[in-house]
Amino acid sequence: MTTDSATAGWEQVEDKYYRKILLYSTLWDADFDLSDYIVAGAPYGGALALYRDESKLQLQTRRGPQNAKSSIDIYSSAGKLIRQISWDKGSIRGLGWSEDEKLLVITEDGNVRCYFDLQGDFTQFSLGNGAEEAGVKECRFWSTGFVALLSNNRLIAVSRYDEPRPRLLADPSSLIQPGETIHAWALVPPSYTLSRHVEVFVSTGTTILIVDATEVQDQMLQNGPFVHISVSPNGKYVSLCTLQGKVWVIKSDFQDKLSEYDTEMGAEALPRAMEWCGNDSVVLAWADEVHMIGPRGAALRHYYDSWVHLIPEMDGIRMVSVEKCEFLQKVPDATEDIFKIGATSPASILLDAVDQIERKSPKADDNIQLIRSQLPEAVDACVKAAGHEFSVRWQKQLLKAASFGKSVLELYSSDEFVEMCETLRVLNAVRFYEVGLAITYEQFIRLTPEKLIQRLVNRQQHLLALRVSEYLRLPTDRIYIHWACMKVRLSKDDEDSICRMVVMKLTGKRGISFEEIARTAYDEGRGKLATQLLNYEPRAGRQVPLLLSMEEDEIALDKAIESGDTDLVFYVLLILKKKLPLANFFRMINDRPVASSLIESSARESDTGLLRDFYYQDDRRADGAHVILRESLEQKDLAIKMEKLKLAAKLLADSKEHVLEAKALDESAKLLQMQEVFEKDLQGERFVGDSVNETVFKLIRMGYSSRANKVKSEFKIPEKRFWWLKLRALVAKRDWGEIEEWGRTKKSPIGWEPFFNECLSAGNTKAASIFIPKCTNLPPADRMDMWVRCGLIVKAGEEAFRAKDVNALEILQAKATGAPALEIDRLLKQLRPNK
Amino acid sequence: MAPPSGIDTSHIKAAAQKDFFELLLGVRGKKVLVLDKSLSGPLGSFLKFSALQEHGVDKIFWLEDGVADATQKNIVFLVRCNSKNAYAIAEHVKKNSKIPGQDFEYTVLFVPRRTLVCEKILEDEGVLGDVTIGEFPLHFLALEPDLLSLELDDSFEELYLRKDYTSIFYSARALMSIQRRYGLFPRIIGKGDCARRLADALIRMRSEEDASDSNLFALTPSSILGELIVVDRESDMVTPLLTQLTYEGLIDETIGIHNSKVELDAALVGPPQQQQQGGTQPSSSSAAAPASSQKQKRPVVLSSEDKLFENLRDTNFAIVGNLLNKVARRLNDDYEVRHQAKTVSEIREFVSKLGGLQQEHQSLRLHTGLAEEIMKHTRSDIFNKILEVQQSRPPQLYLNIFPIGASPQPLTSAKFWSQTVENLLQWGIKEPRDNILTPPRWIADLAAGVDPSSQHDAIEELIARNAPVEAVLRLICIESLVGQGLKPKDLENFKREILQAYGYHHVLTLDALEKLQLLQSRTTIVASGVARTSYSNLRKVLKLIVDEVNEHNPDDIAYVYSGYAPLSIRLVQCIIQKPLMTATTKGRRGEDGLNAGVNAGAGGWRGFEDVLKSIKGKTFDEFQRGEDKALRARNILNGQNEKKVTVVFFVGGCTFTEIAALRFIGKREEGRRQILIGTTAIINGNKMMRAAMA
Repeated sequence: MTTDSATAGWEQVEDKYYRKILLYSTLWDADFDLSDYIVAGAPYGGALALYRDESKLQLQTRRGPQNAKSSIDIYSSAGKLIRQISWDKGSIRGLGWSEDEKLLVITEDGNVRCYFDLQGDFTQFSLGNGAEEAGVKECRFWSTGFVALLSNNRLIAVSRYDEPRPRLLADPSSLIQPGETIHAWALVPPSYTLSRHVEVFVSTGTTILIVDATEVQDQMLQNGPFVHISVSPNGKYVSLCTLQGKVWVIKSDFQDKLSEYDTEMGAEALPRAMEWCGNDSVVLAWADEVHMIGPRGAALRHYYDSWVHLIPEMDGIRMVSVEKCEFLQKVPDATEDIFKIGATSPASILLDAVDQIERKSPKADDNIQLIRSQLPEAVDACVKAAGHEFSVRWQKQLLKAASFGKSVLELYSSDEFVEMCETLRVLNAVRFYEVGLAITYEQFIRLTPEKLIQRLVNRQQHLLALRVSEYLRLPTDRIYIHWACMKVRLSKDDEDSICRMVVMKLTGKRGISFEEIARTAYDEGRGKLATQLLNYEPRAGRQVPLLLSMEEDEIALDKAIESGDTDLVFYVLLILKKKLPLANFFRMINDRPVASSLIESSARESDTGLLRDFYYQDDRRADGAHVILRESLEQKDLAIKMEKLKLAAKLLADSKEHVLEAKALDESAKLLQMQEVFEKDLQGERFVGDSVNETVFKLIRMGYSSRANKVKSEFKIPEKRFWWLKLRALVAKRDWGEIEEWGRTKKSPIGWEPFFNECLSAGNTKAASIFIPKCTNLPPADRMDMWVRCGLIVKAGEEAFRAKDVNALEILQAKATGAPALEIDRLLKQLRPNK
Repeated sequence: MAPPSGIDTSHIKAAAQKDFFELLLGVRGKKVLVLDKSLSGPLGSFLKFSALQEHGVDKIFWLEDGVADATQKNIVFLVRCNSKNAYAIAEHVKKNSKIPGQDFEYTVLFVPRRTLVCEKILEDEGVLGDVTIGEFPLHFLALEPDLLSLELDDSFEELYLRKDYTSIFYSARALMSIQRRYGLFPRIIGKGDCARRLADALIRMRSEEDASDSNLFALTPSSILGELIVVDRESDMVTPLLTQLTYEGLIDETIGIHNSKVELDAALVGPPQQQQQGGTQPSSSSAAAPASSQKQKRPVVLSSEDKLFENLRDTNFAIVGNLLNKVARRLNDDYEVRHQAKTVSEIREFVSKLGGLQQEHQSLRLHTGLAEEIMKHTRSDIFNKILEVQQSRPPQLYLNIFPIGASPQPLTSAKFWSQTVENLLQWGIKEPRDNILTPPRWIADLAAGVDPSSQHDAIEELIARNAPVEAVLRLICIESLVGQGLKPKDLENFKREILQAYGYHHVLTLDALEKLQLLQSRTTIVASGVARTSYSNLRKVLKLIVDEVNEHNPDDIAYVYSGYAPLSIRLVQCIIQKPLMTATTKGRRGEDGLNAGVNAGAGGWRGFEDVLKSIKGKTFDEFQRGEDKALRARNILNGQNEKKVTVVFFVGGCTFTEIAALRFIGKREEGRRQILIGTTAIINGNKMMRAAMA
């Protein structure tokens, strides 16, 4: 940034201005040939990954043997080597970044490595879905995922990296003419499609297919084949480059053509790459020439000495060559309004005013008076423009202008001004070439400060990250943890002093996960340090997985119990059960009630064998017997059922407290035997499964009273209960004769009332009434009520008469009509002869 | 049941809905939803089937039944995160993979969270790679604005029988979500071992939250929330075992309420168009729905949206007839207005009200029908015998809300509304005279040590008459709990009777009841030396039995059992109605206001320490403090909110009577505080017994 003019590097295309900002220079040595490399740049001014282009390696072997061993090199935008990852895993078919700066490497056989921290740590997964057999051809990336094209023209999409689920998109093969290939393809990120799932544009034949998860749509174009397809950052527009070297810009719904541009180089010199620059212009690159096509087809041409790589951004495009890294963008409106030649916007006048002040000219005040009414907008515009400025001098100048304008205003909220000052300070710090994060203000807002800090941390810039975090009042825990992990990994000090140092720095800070640091230590083979660090972890649950992998089984189990999370406890138990001999496992859970009850309740449903063993070793015979009893109940086969019953009874018989249960089980076996016989004798009726009472009830209802009596004596059914059963069964049978007969018995152990009630509720008043006189223990009033309920008012009257209850008779008199009424009258008169 | 103004529970419903739809939209295209049966009720309470269809759900199946067809590529499982379900899912996936030429995309959504165990099972079964796993954090369901339930139906069994404390963990998470929104409970007070566990879990979660990276600021005590009172079911097992006598309680006892829904005869419900809330019926079963409408059961939502039900639900059943009658009269008068309407504008005014009247009428019809349905039970011999035992009194006094002889004709859907109104008009002519409900004196007798064998004949008779086994067990358990165990001889006798009457498999049930300490012999209790809730100590001190209860205009919570005050709620009163309770315990009536200033300041259990010694389980009173600065700032921002929200949380479940009693207290305390009720599930005695039978 040597030039002083704010408009240096501006160029006009149609009615808009574009500017090229030099971010960094002298990235590599001059003899470094970028054209030999595949270059992938992380979005938001992130790191560059370079990998030797294999197809070129074969042609040009002039390089020395030191390059024979291939590697992926990660550089900052300023050309500083961040990390070299040696690579021997085969041919790379996809190299790209996610928005949180994870490097994705996809090999031909469908393996994906996700390098998540710029330090060479990675996770790995496979694309599956036939990728291994068919082979990956190419990959395209978006902010959180990518799509891989296989050589059999199938497409596989991965939409997240924390839990990757590669899935096949719809099969376009049927719409690809035989002999045709896929000439070019591009994707629309999920956030810009209607369906919210990724869509892929595939150029084949003369047309373009739109492929998503479920279907393939032919757009029926006639102008193909297209050698390049590129989708604008906001997903609204698509640019297509034809075989004839013509570039079309259309809307992404394939409805409107917006502009057309002819490279005038024809089919012989087709552009090597085509990318969008922001949302309104397209950049084409040849070996050493770059064209930028404006919205209406006008073009700017730039010429370079060497190979240029294009890295599209949301608001512009990064162009990387050996000697420099540049950023090309449309000049933001706010900036244009202030700086363009002949600008008369209030903000530009305000800026001029500051200039006047510096020159101690009174014109400063004239300027202010001129724009008095628009001053607030002018201040806002200056603040905004400062944000878009890369030059510190102009940033200062604009902020000075804003500050001056603000001071004249009586009421103005300075929040935005203060925020912008803070942001710019951060941006300038990270743009410094040692850090090399060339991020624009808009990218910074989109990326969020938290993610920017994460990028700093990944670059081992802990101190800067910490300062930025504190400055922006953001949490610092991740930075500390990362620092500690790095310390644990790289420090040559002895373990005690590392531990002391880490703990000293980290205690008392919010949100510190010692577990994570301990895990790092463990992974580094520093077991003792890991244990030491783990003790500082406040969340018991967090310690568990690491303790498990450290084989500290008992401590892991205790910590899991301490956490109160039963899922965690059960998880530990599952692992231990598999790992330990059964006896040891039981010993471990025996004195931990939470653990053993979890095992009990889960085994109850799924593993009764385990449960039996568990009770046996703990000498809990009754519980063991109950397990067997439960098995017996579930058993359909009668013989096995009996066998299990007997086994359970035998177990129970050993203990004194369960005599009753043991006897009950014996009885149960006896009942089953009897029921089996009944079923054989009395065809067509089911008995097995019924209780003693039900069996008796059934037998009586069917009229087999002798058999019922046999059951009665066998199971010592008390008289009372037997009478109830018999009564209910006979009523259910509606065998009134039998009931009447039975009712002649002198005494009933349950009284006669139940006879009355049962008959009455079965609807037989006649049978019910028979028992009323037998209820001698009840007061006469109750008996009267009973008569009335049977509809026998005269009988009730007689009852009242015998009790000499005149009142009751009078009430009855009121109720009665016809003959009964006369009868009641007669009785009343008898009781009251003098009336 | 005005919604507590401090806390808005409706956001819980809205958030659940939003979360769920977002999860559904995450799966592209049409999909088949495979549902865990135990989730259909909770889901139905905030989702409609039509809304599911709008979000691409083509068909719904039960996980238990398996997916019958393979028309859709996308299969979404929505299940509770237990291992049984994980195995079932693995089974499905493996079975489907054998279908040639079919390619499925599986998404598994675990409720309320994805667990390590489920993932491990899927991994061990070799299907982890085939499924996308997500979670649907459904914790509290807002059954009513003042009632939050986790609807964990098995929580009682898990906590006390299986000693599996998973539901405590989820309860703590659910309460944490409230604390995250409104600030910490300044004080956590409670009684019971499981309650203690919950408090510990909450305190631990707070400290973990402080240590976690998710938010920048530490939680500070709330200025909206008052105390959290945790009641452990184990400290009062008797209350749910008694027969609930409020309207809603009796509906639950006789018909059963699940997730605010009750299954009724279609004839009772009336025209179908109003009952579309049914929600998530699987298509397979709803296909057969229109065929046989006569015996069809239809789910009906019982909630405070039905104004009539809101008025009835917490009243004693004895006066429900009366209230229905009053409403019928008023409705009738309102309808009569139409005859007086002369001018066009008068008629128009009537017509404009007609919609409301018809709705009210519909609801009146429903509740009359329901009341009748319940009456069928309450007038049965068996039911009365059960009450007789509980009330220690001679038989023949029916719980009858309508005068005998005037009971209404059964309604058929053919008869139009006038039928109902006229019927109701007839009933209420004179005060119902037969509804003499006396307190469950048996409790008092048992607690006082009166020989319980007087009721044993009645219980044996119930057994002989094949009364529901739950009912019989409930009675015996009450005797064991209140009377400090049964005599060994009596216990053996009962056991034999039950085994012979209901089957020998009840050996397991009886064993489970013993493990639950619901049914014990006196010798075991003495031998074990475990502390139990001692009703003989508490009966007088906490005035559990109230002899004179005015059902029409109750002055004490005891009305919910016609004379027994739930111990659990008395405990809550000890904390929030201190002056009243002190007066009760010391026997000084009429001093309510005087000592208020002195005692109320102390709060917590102060003054009732001795009482608590007679109740099972740990006692605790924890303060949650924050940085003074933050607290002061909060107070300045929100103003000193005098009216705090007290949250009463039941570990192990609560009954509708307890809810009614808390609402009763809430009304009394309206000026000082609001009560929000939380529970792991809504239970009753039958559910407790069934837990032992499982």
